[in-house]
Amino acid sequence: MILEGIKRGETVLEARGITKRFPGVVANEQIDFEIKAGEIHAILGENGAGKTTLMNILFGLLQPDEGEIIIRGERVKFRSPLDAINMGIGMVHQHRKLVSAHSAIENIILGHPRAGNILNLKKAEEELTELCDRYGFKIDLKAKVWQLSEGEKQAVEILKALYRGAEILILDEPNSALTPMETEKLLASIEAMARDDLAIVPFITHKLPIVLAISQRVTVLRRGKVVACLETAQATEKSLAMQMVGREVIFRVERVAVEKGKPILQVENLSALSDKGFQALKDISFTICEGEILGIAGISGNGQQELVEVLSGLRPAQGGKVTLDGRDITHASSLERWQRGIGYIPADRIHVGSIADFSLVENTAMNYFFDKAYSRGGIVDYKNLRNLTEEVITEYNVAAPGPDTKAKNLSGGNLQKLILARVLSRNPRLVIADLPSQGLDVGATEFVQNKLISAKKGKAGVLLISEDLDEILSLSDWVAVIYEGRFMGILPGEKAKKENVGAMMAGVPLKEREV
Amino acid sequence: MKIGSHELKLEKRVTLSGTEAALISVLAIFFALALFSLLFLLAGINPLIAYQKIFSYAFANPFGLPLTINRSIFLLLCTFAFIIPFRAGLWNIGTTGQLYAGSLCAFGVVVAFGGKTFNSAYYSPALLIPLMLIAACLGGALYGAIAGYLRGRFNVNEIVVTMMLNFISFWLVSFMIKEGGPFMKSGGEGESFGLPASIFAPLIKGVPFTIFIAVGLAVLLYYMFAKTKIGYQIKAYGLSPAAARYAGIQTLMIPLLVFIMAGAMAGLAGYHYFAAVPGVYKIPKNYGYFGDLAFYGIICGLISQGNPIAAIPVALLFGGLSVGGRFVQGELHMSFGVDYALLGVLMISLVAFQFFYRYKIEWVKTKKERLDVGILR
Repeated sequence: MILEGIKRGETVLEARGITKRFPGVVANEQIDFEIKAGEIHAILGENGAGKTTLMNILFGLLQPDEGEIIIRGERVKFRSPLDAINMGIGMVHQHRKLVSAHSAIENIILGHPRAGNILNLKKAEEELTELCDRYGFKIDLKAKVWQLSEGEKQAVEILKALYRGAEILILDEPNSALTPMETEKLLASIEAMARDDLAIVPFITHKLPIVLAISQRVTVLRRGKVVACLETAQATEKSLAMQMVGREVIFRVERVAVEKGKPILQVENLSALSDKGFQALKDISFTICEGEILGIAGISGNGQQELVEVLSGLRPAQGGKVTLDGRDITHASSLERWQRGIGYIPADRIHVGSIADFSLVENTAMNYFFDKAYSRGGIVDYKNLRNLTEEVITEYNVAAPGPDTKAKNLSGGNLQKLILARVLSRNPRLVIADLPSQGLDVGATEFVQNKLISAKKGKAGVLLISEDLDEILSLSDWVAVIYEGRFMGILPGEKAKKENVGAMMAGVPLKEREV
Repeated sequence: MKIGSHELKLEKRVTLSGTEAALISVLAIFFALALFSLLFLLAGINPLIAYQKIFSYAFANPFGLPLTINRSIFLLLCTFAFIIPFRAGLWNIGTTGQLYAGSLCAFGVVVAFGGKTFNSAYYSPALLIPLMLIAACLGGALYGAIAGYLRGRFNVNEIVVTMMLNFISFWLVSFMIKEGGPFMKSGGEGESFGLPASIFAPLIKGVPFTIFIAVGLAVLLYYMFAKTKIGYQIKAYGLSPAAARYAGIQTLMIPLLVFIMAGAMAGLAGYHYFAAVPGVYKIPKNYGYFGDLAFYGIICGLISQGNPIAAIPVALLFGGLSVGGRFVQGELHMSFGVDYALLGVLMISLVAFQFFYRYKIEWVKTKKERLDVGILR
């Protein structure tokens, strides 16, 4: 086996006084951290708390300005990730770094020192199968990476690190793209690895229950400093959140009753094709009224993206009808839909929802440049837009040096606040919120959810797409479940429970009598 | 790098001001000139004398200066033809083809009015010159539109299309002006008919009026990108087509639009060189030389970072150095290609110095002893 000479409970990695400065910010300040063999030690922090910097330092992608790293009692300095790998550190990135046209096994042995010019795939396969069995990864090693699900891709990344001899495993947001089932499997694998005396360091922004479920110790970062390091047994979800954010956080945003008004959006028998020409949506029908939130639950890739794109005018409808306030908009352009009062918050806030090299003013202009109030005779009124940007930055607490900052300098949560501010300040009739809180920390998630509720109070209709079932169940007046492009059923919010919604997510249609 | 108790350190830039960018470019130019001195030294020539000759001929000589100005106007228009699609994230490699197409259309107007046969006859310049300008713009625009449409509608790579179109129009020009072609000079000689003297472009102090068009366009384009709705949409598309689509921008139209504008700019460049530069007034035998020169528009556009105003000094420098380089080559009996080599070195140096747009060198005091070994045992 690969694991030799480690004693359980021995400190394998220690970081002392790590400090890293970037122009204008101190990303890490005097960070102390240690992990023992066989321990799961989570690092928790909001976006921008310095997690990524610390992770990159531990993996040799960045060099600390001050401080030292000690591995098994030896002071080390990593010039590159190769040094870190040779010292037994493995990293599983949040955004997978695999060659998608290659098979799992080819990816795993890529760059392995034993893989010379002639590949011995057979031997590698035997060894990897043994690893898979030991830690409960069920993947077809010969399958191409593009055929694998997110969870399987992650398993490939973990296997790759283990096969390189990693004894300290860094996991970046390990459960961010996984379904509940996949998450459970992952946790079981992590525990099995810890039993084999591997040291495991998961970095997590949200999903506190997972931290509580598997880790033995937690280190909480806030604004680049360690604010707490404690035994998980002594922590609660609430106490951790408070340390992360620095104030009390309400976990469940309550559903608010708003008097139901006229129907805003009516969708009848809508169908559409995916990019690859497959049937992505079949016979989708629903209505959203004033003051209602319709939440769409489902495992990702079941047609949610296509539905949102059809409704926002980015994808042609293949059949069916969409009406907004009684007007047929099935074939309206996306610009016309904006002007008629659809406000769309896209899932990909970095590549679709914003333009990294644009200033905040120019980013705000994305939803305003076509408005008469902000452009007349083909000339954009940047002065007015600047005022608007300053207003929304203040109103939505966007942490930015000023309206001329480029969007790429904002953290994920602040970028989402800006997009939300830009879209909601138009007072849209219908808000389409596609994964609005994905990847956000607890504080920002709470903020986003509250804003959706205030839109609802303001008589707007809200279509909420989320992979977080808790979010759907706590916010929605109606819960629809999508599976392979069809609605499995629509339930009133108070009747939607994890059990019945979960069954529909797995493809079991709702029977009338169960309602 | 460590020097005494201080250290030179590479730091990432967060912002870059206009003056800093200009300073970096000036440093790059000096660096290129210093580097090129080696070539003069190898040829046994004092580089200072050579540069003195180059610059004084290009910018202070009654024969050289007009050449420089005419060439710079041409380069500037070609630069615009590159910049406009560039701001939309697209690469126009077809300025050459578009300027040929524009020139052919401008000369076509003259043929349509019978200007080919009666060389000395009087034609109304007030009618024909504007018509020729419009025809040049339209011809270039239509030729550019091919690439823009294919890109917008079918996502066909615009680099390949524009480059291939260059070849087509090169041979089309050849067909039109060589023996037997419709634009042939009576008696052949492989060049086009000469324009009647009455429709030579008006000169202002020896400089064709196209200089006002070029400079005016610089201001106009700058304004377009800075203030207008269409400029905003082009920039948004250039930085992120997906985000532009999300914002309701007609993403099928933007490529077509920018290539139409670019083609019109190239068409004007063609008009300028073949119908407005004193002493030319025809499509000459070596028209391919001017087509090749148009590629420097790409370089000028990249160096000026897509800024049409910044393109003016850049085009002037490149125009001047190519004229001065050619002069000094003859004057000092150097071998062929001094002008091209000089422009090449300048180009590489300017592009390499763009590194400093993103990084700066800091002079910092060293803190404590740094560990220089990988793993300390």
